[in-house]
Amino acid sequence: MVTKSKLKMALAADKGVDFKKLALKKKEKVAKKSKSKKGGDQPKANGKKVEDGWEDVEEESDAGEEAKEAAELIEDESGSDEEEEGVDKPMEIDFAGIDESDSDSSAGENDQENDSEDEEDEEDIPMSDLEDLDDEEREDIIPHQRLTINNTVALTAALKRIALPVSKMSFSEHQSITTSTPVSIPDVSDDLNRELAFYAQSLSAAQEARKLLKAEGIPFTRPTDYFAEMVKADEHMAKIKAKLIDEAAGKKASAEARKQRDLKKFGKQVQVAKLQERDKERKQTLDKIKVLKRKRQGADTEATNEADMFDVALEDETSKPSRKDRQGPNKRAKKDEKFGHGGKKRFKKSGDAMSSGDLSGFSSKKMKGGAKQRPGKARRAGKR
Amino acid sequence: MAAVYKSLSKTNGHKEEGPANGVKKNKQRVLILSSRGITYRHRHLLNDLASLLPHSRKDAKLDTKSKLYQLNELAELYNCNNVFFFEARKGKDLYLWISKAPNGPTVKMHMQNCTSFHSHTSQKQPLTQNPVHTMEELHFTGNCLKGSRPILSFDASFDKEPHLRVLKELFLHIFGVPKGARKAKPFIDHVMGFTLADGKIWIRNYQINETEPSKSTAVSSDAEPKPKPSKSSNSKETEISLVEIGPRFVLTPIVIQEGSFGGPILYENKEFVSPNQVRSEIRQKKAGRYNARAEQGIERLAKKGDLGLRTSGGRKAPVNELDTAMLFA
Repeated sequence: MVTKSKLKMALAADKGVDFKKLALKKKEKVAKKSKSKKGGDQPKANGKKVEDGWEDVEEESDAGEEAKEAAELIEDESGSDEEEEGVDKPMEIDFAGIDESDSDSSAGENDQENDSEDEEDEEDIPMSDLEDLDDEEREDIIPHQRLTINNTVALTAALKRIALPVSKMSFSEHQSITTSTPVSIPDVSDDLNRELAFYAQSLSAAQEARKLLKAEGIPFTRPTDYFAEMVKADEHMAKIKAKLIDEAAGKKASAEARKQRDLKKFGKQVQVAKLQERDKERKQTLDKIKVLKRKRQGADTEATNEADMFDVALEDETSKPSRKDRQGPNKRAKKDEKFGHGGKKRFKKSGDAMSSGDLSGFSSKKMKGGAKQRPGKARRAGKR
Repeated sequence: MAAVYKSLSKTNGHKEEGPANGVKKNKQRVLILSSRGITYRHRHLLNDLASLLPHSRKDAKLDTKSKLYQLNELAELYNCNNVFFFEARKGKDLYLWISKAPNGPTVKMHMQNCTSFHSHTSQKQPLTQNPVHTMEELHFTGNCLKGSRPILSFDASFDKEPHLRVLKELFLHIFGVPKGARKAKPFIDHVMGFTLADGKIWIRNYQINETEPSKSTAVSSDAEPKPKPSKSSNSKETEISLVEIGPRFVLTPIVIQEGSFGGPILYENKEFVSPNQVRSEIRQKKAGRYNARAEQGIERLAKKGDLGLRTSGGRKAPVNELDTAMLFA
């Protein structure tokens, strides 16, 4: 223990390692090692034995180290002491961590003990303690079913065991690219942005990989005349195409229909507006005609002041007769006047109170011989 | 004679291959199989993945769900050093086991797909009800060579924590097609993305679509005030765009074991809530509605009884001297 470097000591002190306890454990460990070596002469052939070994480890919970060594033993039987020491050394520091996490895995149910030990465990409160909370409060809780198990040391060891020497291999061997900065997705349920982030990540990877592969002289682009079986068969692709076309056609049709609907709605408005305008125009022209008529009849009576004169001049100018105007409404009006327009035609020629009372065609002079007598026949004949 | 020559040349070849490389070769073979009781979607997904991984060996469904260590023997039988196992539960939940065959580690993950890409189906659903997307689905328009080696794109957050590093390594072994794989094709035309978000691993598969740098883009870049100098240097380079091939899925790591389908637990995800629990909570909530209503009814009765408003039971209202019934009795 005294031989440890200052840094290590400091670290150990920080973690609160009890050296006496450690020494005790070491002794235990040595004893175990000898035992397991005796027992596990051929651990590979004897699967049952190995399993027993695992169970032992779990039960004893305080000797997390042991698991590592057993694994080491299984892996390579040669298992020289040096290697084992090599594995041991970096772990010594983390004894505390190992112990706790292992006791987690073994203890499982009895949570209360672990709570005070680890920083992370302090966050965990067993559900049984929260039973008496209100419903409203309980809604805010994120329920964690289990307490944390995160055996960092064992995980790194496992990783080391299986890891490919990526840094030593050429890129074409592994073809994996890790982004320089972690991809951050603020809201996972936001589909569009999430997928965009994924896309961007893969795109940058593809670009980088192409560069690297070209540098290594590995063919990247598939030549156009290289035909081979694809992941999706041709008929599947045809289906996709058909679906795309269908979708596009549907979209187009619906857009067309919408346009038509709008036009219809709008068209009605246009028609109404046009009719109204036409009506207005007709009224205006009729008015104009009336005014003109009046002016012609009593030109001197009214058109004395300047404004009226000016008005007349202007009106003359504006109502410069186009051929259509001259013939159009005026003629019609005349005809209507003469022949009648609209209204009931029946009994129009029959006499009524008015016509019988109308004595304009009656003259007493004519009745009283005011009119010259018609000369006699001979006279009339003699005149010729 | 020929046989002798063959054997000789073979051994020679082997000997040369060994020292020439120096470092260990990336040699992976994956045993792909599922348990009984998977749905057609799961099966399609499995087939899709098998078609994407030329270094895989597909096997018949495994009968047992409890004795998963049998998978180790199977893997040994097929010379596989990776196992990729779909475990279906209750005909709806899918768990993915990934393992390095003889010695582990093993990862168990929950496989699901949270939201679909189409906007018209984006109504939010509980996570458990969303299915897995397979390649059969028609909105993935990409395609790639069967057996071409993918580029694996990892999110940098995979390097942050040891359990994630283990996961990354496993993905690298299983989804990365080793260089000399028997059925692998020579060109590279798809990229697989592994991203960590919300404690889950999102996996996407894109086709790399290379197009000639079109004139329109050139014009636009000219029109822009700052034309990129790098663009002119490799003007021969084609532009890359991606088209999704599928399948897509989301994995939630649950547990990491040290051995292969056995051994002590190295990591356990405390944030994982099993779909069973989610479902049961939904059910309980529904049941709770009735209970609450029934309770309310009882309370109301009790209240009425206390006020003396009930004919039978409860407290009797005190007899009033001035009541008509008393006065005119």
